[in-house]
Amino acid sequence: MGKNSGVPSPSRRDLLRMIGVTAGSTAMYQAMSSLGFAADSPYRGPIDLQGTPKGASVLILGAGIAGMSAAYELRNAGYQVQVLEYNDRAGGRNWSLRGGDSYTELGGLTQQCRFDKDLYINPGPWRIPYHHRGMLSYCRRLGVPLEPFLQVNYNAYLHSSRAFGGKPQRYREIKADYQGHVAELLSKATRQNALDASVSKEDQERLLESLRNWGALDKTNAYISSNTSSERRGYQKDPGGGLTARPIPSEPIGLTDILESRLWQGISAGDMFDMQTALFQPVGGMGRVGEAFGRELGPLIRYNSKVTDIHQDNQSVSVAYEDTRKPGTKLQARADWCLCTIPLPILAQIPMNVGPALAAAIAAVPYASAVKVGLQFKRRFWEEDEHIFGGITYTDLPIANIGYPNTGFHSGGKGVLLGGYIWGTNAMEFTAMTPDERVRKALDYGSQIHPQYPQEFDNGVAVAWHRSPFTMGCFGMWTSDTRAKHYDDLCEIDGRIVLAGEHASYIGGWQEGAVTSALDAIGRLHQRAIAAGATA
Amino acid sequence: MRPPLPRAGMRCVLPLLLIVGAAAGAWADDSAVTPTADIGNVSGAEIYGHICQGCHMPQAQGAVGAGHYPKLAGDPALVSWQYVALTVLNGKNGMPAFGLPTDQFEFVFGAVRLSDAQVAEVVNYVRSHFGNNWKGVATASQVAALPHH
Repeated sequence: MGKNSGVPSPSRRDLLRMIGVTAGSTAMYQAMSSLGFAADSPYRGPIDLQGTPKGASVLILGAGIAGMSAAYELRNAGYQVQVLEYNDRAGGRNWSLRGGDSYTELGGLTQQCRFDKDLYINPGPWRIPYHHRGMLSYCRRLGVPLEPFLQVNYNAYLHSSRAFGGKPQRYREIKADYQGHVAELLSKATRQNALDASVSKEDQERLLESLRNWGALDKTNAYISSNTSSERRGYQKDPGGGLTARPIPSEPIGLTDILESRLWQGISAGDMFDMQTALFQPVGGMGRVGEAFGRELGPLIRYNSKVTDIHQDNQSVSVAYEDTRKPGTKLQARADWCLCTIPLPILAQIPMNVGPALAAAIAAVPYASAVKVGLQFKRRFWEEDEHIFGGITYTDLPIANIGYPNTGFHSGGKGVLLGGYIWGTNAMEFTAMTPDERVRKALDYGSQIHPQYPQEFDNGVAVAWHRSPFTMGCFGMWTSDTRAKHYDDLCEIDGRIVLAGEHASYIGGWQEGAVTSALDAIGRLHQRAIAAGATA
Repeated sequence: MRPPLPRAGMRCVLPLLLIVGAAAGAWADDSAVTPTADIGNVSGAEIYGHICQGCHMPQAQGAVGAGHYPKLAGDPALVSWQYVALTVLNGKNGMPAFGLPTDQFEFVFGAVRLSDAQVAEVVNYVRSHFGNNWKGVATASQVAALPHH
């Protein structure tokens, strides 16, 4: 990809950009999927590993979702399993920060999380779509209870700092009005015979009927202030009971204002495959999955273990590591095989005797920048004042998102918002700040949407993934070029070593990518182990 | 999840370059988040402070965890501006490439692109600060002549 050949065909680029800004970054994955990448989870039920050679052993590097799902299956299949983990906890990016936790980022700044009991923020993944069957299966098998994750909330906001005087608009109103106006226009075009070439007369009648239905049009195919349109966008005065019962319809926003605001870009987020209802979250935080895996695997995981060297010969794999609590200690682990889930920015720096193809692949994948900010407030004003129960507000401000807790409704007391979920340039800029500055910035920007912020703020934490000591970035960013050159090499077994993790998947940045890549890798490793026999 | 809104979409194509275009936003005068200066005046110091120091740290001292971010202060490899510029343009290991069209990435919102002039600015900045005092100054056209993989 020379710098001049990098000019993309405008149509494809514009399409992707449109989809992306409409639906959000993760949606972009799925858009890419429909343009040629696999996206649906290939998970087809628990892996069946039969005929494990007696005494065969696997050393697993990393106790994240990939490493622990592999450890769980390999242990059950009769392998001797040991897992080395850098952190003092299980889960990796599957992680929840709760009151009492502390987190030290690269550079040495430590944050003490001061959230109230039962309140948390997920610095990493926060939702599990219904079709991520591998993740859901482990939640079931490990006894991790789930609850709904609300992706779309019709009463949350779409916000542009440059439209409607910066006043946030309800998703409900923007969606109804955009849809209503488009339906009216299309209906007009149909009746003016503009569609005769593409729609038969018979279908035109059905089309008109469907447009009235889809856009909440009146009998004359107009989108106007009425009970019909208010049933979508909400009333100026809601219907009630008794003498104050009579509703007053609301006035739709004009088409020009809707189009100019560009808030229509926020309508389709929940239509994307990864965002479609139903989605789930573990009760108590996403980190409950990693914690459950950690309990299940118990002493198989050695924590506080920093890998410093990986060496294979034709008999086994030896890994040198040091105990992070006793710097300088030289420890050694050895097994017949090695499943390595260490994130690529770190793995690229660890001496390892693999072939040039795998080495090149490991060095070829930069990691995305992302920042999440958790803000605790003295009361759940978004529920009490604004009637927003869960879901997400989208904004063009650098904070990009405000995520409302999908649990604990009406619980009184304090509440924790996701005060920002930031990508790209702004994520790098937030990473460059101190944690306190990130929290302050998230407060400043969020105040433009929720003026209660300054009054109600209690405390906050901010995790910048490029400052994470155990990943050095959020997830692997592939291009079509690097996929073509390196992806298969990254996944192939090299001697006695195989890689796994979201970086070795086409569901990048999702836990399901970690699960499916791990199962794929151990399936192949198992065949090698059988072929090699018991003592290899 | 990414914001659904327009500026974000533009940015994913030409991030810093478009910050000027975003100046109508209510947050446009926030110097911590976006340089407010005209693009011609965006200094190497600003680019370093906004982007590079996220990993390489405010004093270019680097950091160590499970892996490490290289220290740029006193790094003898900085003797070659070409080496520094190539690293910024094309990335290295987990370090993002800043010289590529961002829409080459499947995840376009994650990618950030700097112009050749911005790369020259920041290369010159790191080679002349943090105790570094290397001779020679890179220009935008010299950076443009380097391979952008």
